[in-house]
Amino acid sequence: MKKDQEISHEKGYERLERRGISRRDFLKLCTLSCIAFSLDLGFASKMAEAAAANLTKKPLIWMQGQGCTGCSESLFSSADPEPEQILLDLLSVRFHPTIMAAAGDQAIGSWEHCLEEGNYLLVLEGSIPTADPRFCTVEGRPFLEQFKKAASKAEAVIAVGSCACYGGIPRAGFTGAVGAQDILNGVKVVNIPSCPVKPDRLVGTLLYYLSKNQLPRLDKHGRPLAYYRWTLHDSCHRRLHYERGEFLRDWNDPKTADWCLYYKGCKGKEVFTNCSSYWWNDGVNYCGYSGSPCAGCSQPEFYEQFSPLFDNPKEVK
Amino acid sequence: MAKRIVVDPVTRIEGHLRVEVEVENGVVVDAWTKGTMFRGIEKIIQGKDPRDAVYIAERICGVCMASHGWTSAMAVENAHGAILPPAARLIRNLLVGALWLHDHPLHFYHLSALDYLDVLAIAGYQGKDQNLLTVKDKIMKLVEAGDTAPLTPRYEPDDFSIRDPEIVTSALAHYLQALQIQAKAKKMSAILGGKQPHQSSIVVGGVTIYPTDQQLEQFKQLLEEVVDFVKKVYVPDVVFFATGPLLSLAQAGFGAGTGNYLAYGAFPMDDSGREKLFEGGFVSSSQPEKVQQVDLTKITEAVTSSWYQESLPAHPWEGTTEVDLDKSGAYTFVKSPRYNGLSTEVGPLARMTVARHKPFLKLVEEYAIKPGAVARHLARAQETVLVADAMFEWLKDLEHLLKRGKIHNSLRPDIHDSKHWEPPRRGRGVGLNEAPRGALGHWVEIDDHKVKNYQIVVPTTWNVSPRDDQGIPGPIEQALIGIPVDPHNPVNLVRVIRSFDPCLACAVHVISSDGDKMIRI
Repeated sequence: MKKDQEISHEKGYERLERRGISRRDFLKLCTLSCIAFSLDLGFASKMAEAAAANLTKKPLIWMQGQGCTGCSESLFSSADPEPEQILLDLLSVRFHPTIMAAAGDQAIGSWEHCLEEGNYLLVLEGSIPTADPRFCTVEGRPFLEQFKKAASKAEAVIAVGSCACYGGIPRAGFTGAVGAQDILNGVKVVNIPSCPVKPDRLVGTLLYYLSKNQLPRLDKHGRPLAYYRWTLHDSCHRRLHYERGEFLRDWNDPKTADWCLYYKGCKGKEVFTNCSSYWWNDGVNYCGYSGSPCAGCSQPEFYEQFSPLFDNPKEVK
Repeated sequence: MAKRIVVDPVTRIEGHLRVEVEVENGVVVDAWTKGTMFRGIEKIIQGKDPRDAVYIAERICGVCMASHGWTSAMAVENAHGAILPPAARLIRNLLVGALWLHDHPLHFYHLSALDYLDVLAIAGYQGKDQNLLTVKDKIMKLVEAGDTAPLTPRYEPDDFSIRDPEIVTSALAHYLQALQIQAKAKKMSAILGGKQPHQSSIVVGGVTIYPTDQQLEQFKQLLEEVVDFVKKVYVPDVVFFATGPLLSLAQAGFGAGTGNYLAYGAFPMDDSGREKLFEGGFVSSSQPEKVQQVDLTKITEAVTSSWYQESLPAHPWEGTTEVDLDKSGAYTFVKSPRYNGLSTEVGPLARMTVARHKPFLKLVEEYAIKPGAVARHLARAQETVLVADAMFEWLKDLEHLLKRGKIHNSLRPDIHDSKHWEPPRRGRGVGLNEAPRGALGHWVEIDDHKVKNYQIVVPTTWNVSPRDDQGIPGPIEQALIGIPVDPHNPVNLVRVIRSFDPCLACAVHVISSDGDKMIRI
């Protein structure tokens, strides 16, 4: 049995190498995921082996509800792995409205074929309207029904971005916008919120699933603990100033440039996210470092319960 | 007997679009464009702190995001009476300029090129170029593994598909290279904007970031790399396609449109905001040689074919967004904006036409290219060069301002108008701008320090608009009428639609249920 597995891992690597990914690159990626999930680093090679054996087999369906395509654009901004590797090497992208060659019935045909075959991963971007199904339709049919159908046969359902997880900004409107978990009964959904999704969290979660064949540990809001265990405030570089009661009041004042953004509306104290320790776009920046207050986009309360975004009416105690 | 063809979803665009056409003797005789998703962003902004509008408007679209954030900021600043400091103007130009540098090449390679390439012709590549051989090897391995998604399935290659293995292989190599480049251009926006998509540093009154030397250096290095790609790969590719394999389409004016063009202008070059990199203007099909000054009072929106409660065509100030899903005769949530009552195209072709951009006009004249799908790609590439060149100037100006700030704190440039940060009791503001996809306008009315009314007229609302109160079809509908289409392989429909680079997230609609028997392709 063990020997068989080794053989299949070996084949997995060969497959990856045939597709232009070196074993070294892939190990690097898995090591990063191990760090995120607080796994023993020794697990990286096991993760890489197992994921390599699975990766080329795993079809992906990416569906878009009431969204803005920002999460797709964010996936394509991934630095490690690069978008080319994600699209052509790591996954078999059978349905993705923004990137697929097919249109119309051919596109729907791909989707249906994938459903028949089963064993696919399903990603949702955007929220789902429940007040009236006509608020989002594809192929003349309610998106709500199509998504439910795809979810019923998926191996795992991953909601990316705040809209797909909890309804996000559209939830503040009148279309009855909700996230995937609100309409799927008995299906466990992995939520990877933020606006847009942070690509390393999505890729890391996929690798974890493919290597261990189980979902990572989630918090009470369905988020992988690895990325949402602590608040933004916990590791904010402005934290010391908060403790000293030093707050930025005017963006023009050089003396206060690094001070706490609470009075500019920062919600970071109650927002669970690792943005302040793992930055965006290949690690060049994140909201707080660029001087803008956290809007709380990775919380279920986002957006409406965090409004006004640029003010915190309560005084700091 | 007319045959009805439906394409739903139209992929490789932003958002949910359904197109229906009637074909007679192989030619489109009528067309309907239908957006099929609605969020009601305007309603969400109502009643909120006006400063929230910038954050929410940014998320109207995840493809031209910062254009919306910026335009919303302009409108709210106008209502607050805020004045943008010079450094903030330059930072916004650079942040959003980087967005154009990622967006235009991405549109050409990843959203459009597959319509003109027989991808599998790569098998016939016999050249010796090591880079191209690697690409061939990569694609052929996918073919052998029987897993060429997402490059297949696809419409069948036709007479206008490029099958020359050399050209196809080189285009695919650039497709892959452009994937890397667009991620780098997004990184540029993130350096100044916190993250990208959905930057966060543009706020009402200015920006929140005071860039460090190190950040500007990093920005400059990426700018050089991205612009190198734009000038040496992207633009030459588009010009080669337009004047080579696609010349017959270009000269035929395939997918022509209405011939009415509108641009508001964008990227202020000075602090008065009067001089802009892209000039605004209006050109009508009846007077194609005359560029008229934009008169905002001539903009009205009709809702006759849209799922909104019926009202007379109104200026955006007076517009409302009351949904009526059961309205008879309506087929989309997109309203019908009209300029002086005319169905009007916005976007790169409109901008280059009203700006009378010489390099573009010279190319068009030299090759006898008519307005249409190919001309749109050409205009898009030409204007990317304009933005690219201006970026270096803006960067130099910004460095100069920041350098003065190092001499003494009193010379340090402001990045924010702090005096006008708090929302006024009452106010009205308008923000007019260009998104990569065309003329973009935001209108805000503030009452009791809150947003009382918010209206957005986005580029795709102009282009994907339905029939108006006079029954006149929108620009894409008109561009589709008259084109040849094979009902069993309607690739020409998507070629024309994608040349407009539609972005449906903002331009939302619901479709009517029609009992007609349709051939679904």
